[in-house]
Amino acid sequence: MTSQYIGNPAIGSPTGNYTGKAPAVWPAKVNQIPKEVFGDKSLFEDELKNIFYGDCWHVVGHFAEIPNAGDFKTFDLGRVPLLIARGKDNQVRVFYNTCTHRGNQLEVATSGNRKEFECPYHRWLFSLDGALAACPGSKEFAPDFKQENFGLMEVKSAQFMGIIFVTMGKNTPPLTEWLGDVVPPTLSTLLGGDGRLKLLGYQKVRYDSNWKGYNDNDGYHAPMLHTAFRLLNWQGGTTGFQRMTKNGHVVFEAELKAIQNNGFVNDPSLVEFKGSDPAKGSRIVQLFPATVMVKHLDIINLRFAMARSHDVTEVHYAYFAHEDDDEAMVQHRIRQSSNLLGPCGMISMEDAAIFQRIHIGNQTPGFAEFQKGVTSLSEVPMDVKQNDETGNLPRWEHYRKVMGFKREGEK
Amino acid sequence: MSQTITAAHSAAIDALHSAYLAALDKGDMAAWASTFAADNARYFCVSTENDRRGLPLALMYDDCRGRIDDRVSFVTKVWAGTYEPYRTRHFIQRLSCEAAGNNQYRVTSGFTIMMSAEGGTTAVLTSGEYRDLIEIQGDSAVFCERRAVYDADVLPRYIVFPF
Repeated sequence: MTSQYIGNPAIGSPTGNYTGKAPAVWPAKVNQIPKEVFGDKSLFEDELKNIFYGDCWHVVGHFAEIPNAGDFKTFDLGRVPLLIARGKDNQVRVFYNTCTHRGNQLEVATSGNRKEFECPYHRWLFSLDGALAACPGSKEFAPDFKQENFGLMEVKSAQFMGIIFVTMGKNTPPLTEWLGDVVPPTLSTLLGGDGRLKLLGYQKVRYDSNWKGYNDNDGYHAPMLHTAFRLLNWQGGTTGFQRMTKNGHVVFEAELKAIQNNGFVNDPSLVEFKGSDPAKGSRIVQLFPATVMVKHLDIINLRFAMARSHDVTEVHYAYFAHEDDDEAMVQHRIRQSSNLLGPCGMISMEDAAIFQRIHIGNQTPGFAEFQKGVTSLSEVPMDVKQNDETGNLPRWEHYRKVMGFKREGEK
Repeated sequence: MSQTITAAHSAAIDALHSAYLAALDKGDMAAWASTFAADNARYFCVSTENDRRGLPLALMYDDCRGRIDDRVSFVTKVWAGTYEPYRTRHFIQRLSCEAAGNNQYRVTSGFTIMMSAEGGTTAVLTSGEYRDLIEIQGDSAVFCERRAVYDADVLPRYIVFPF
């Protein structure tokens, strides 16, 4: 038996009332974001309460990372340590990574395979399904001690095509409602149609950047940054779109246009598309608050982000093949994934530089100004073009509301 | 250390290591590439976690000479002007050297990379182990393969230069 804890009473419930130093009033113009929100330490504490421990779903992994019974990984949601394990019954469960006795951190490894989890402090032993299987000396425990009441605390979780979501909120809507109608079709294509993936490996890195700065710049953005596109004479497709949801998600779809090898790269396989359908070549799904997932060319990349503090964001870039791939396709994905879209990728290293540079720039007074695609200063746009930067604004509006910031002039 | 290595071969291997470190510490990517064999050379930079778990993904996966030359272009042309500059100092210590036949040696070394960001202090980027296949060609040595397995589970920044 596992105890069902939904929400953590020790942390308190979301208040919606901001108590820090960031602007008490949000600008009236919808295309201005006050830079204070990127650098305020006390605001981060409220974001933990209202967002990370609040009524939101958070991506913490994918089933393919723990394919076999006994496989586990550890992950942090804000400062809360999680233990994600696949049981003998093949069920994936998410627990708080703490012994139910004195609170010792239960599992220290980042990943592995266990028959059970043992706390070394007093040798309490937990089954893969969280049940307390053994606790030496229990005859001398408190009169009300019952072994069945001390299973691992389970965190509420749900899955979409193997993507593992958790929430600590008490009033989080069901995951299907949270994802809405816009996200699932794009996400499904991104995950190879069905989410039957095979883990290829990780690139893990910490950025000196606020999590919102990371998220604001890791999704789709205008291609001007990327010299590689120009050097490769690689024109983006014109048939794409981006769509947003009112609760802060953004999806982007584009058709791939094959690049003509102009001799810039010696090994053009880096940018070669070997998949079957160029119309499904490029997909980005950005989920509120901090997750970005990308399929580009033959790369399937889920970016598991952890907001470590107001100025550090850790990102685990996890790359996958599809279970139905032949050996040649797997090898192609390994070669392409390693060198193209990560923190040292030919296209994306520059993104990483921007996360950190924008965080430095955001310590100054004033606003982050959105321009391209802005058609109204008072209405948050829900209909934007492929290359507009306004796709980020509904997410900011959702953030503003969740955090309880009042817009200037708002009653 | 293997008994079969001659003093001349050992000196050539040392000189190769020095040339590699000097190239990176000067930020000279062309000199870095020239430490690899002219054809059929490979360079991999991979986390200990992926390496230990048998996960094939790398941070840098240059499994042919063309990709090594392309990495030079990434740093000098594609990324020029975008990243926050940093300088490195590499330190190594040879751990083992085994003859592999055909004038080739399997060599392992521990490494430490210090990084100094422009306008900033000096910090450890990561440490790790080089696992090399080195070939003696005439009086000098080249890398047929260098596999840099870095220790950090999480790197402290995005990466521009090879390890």
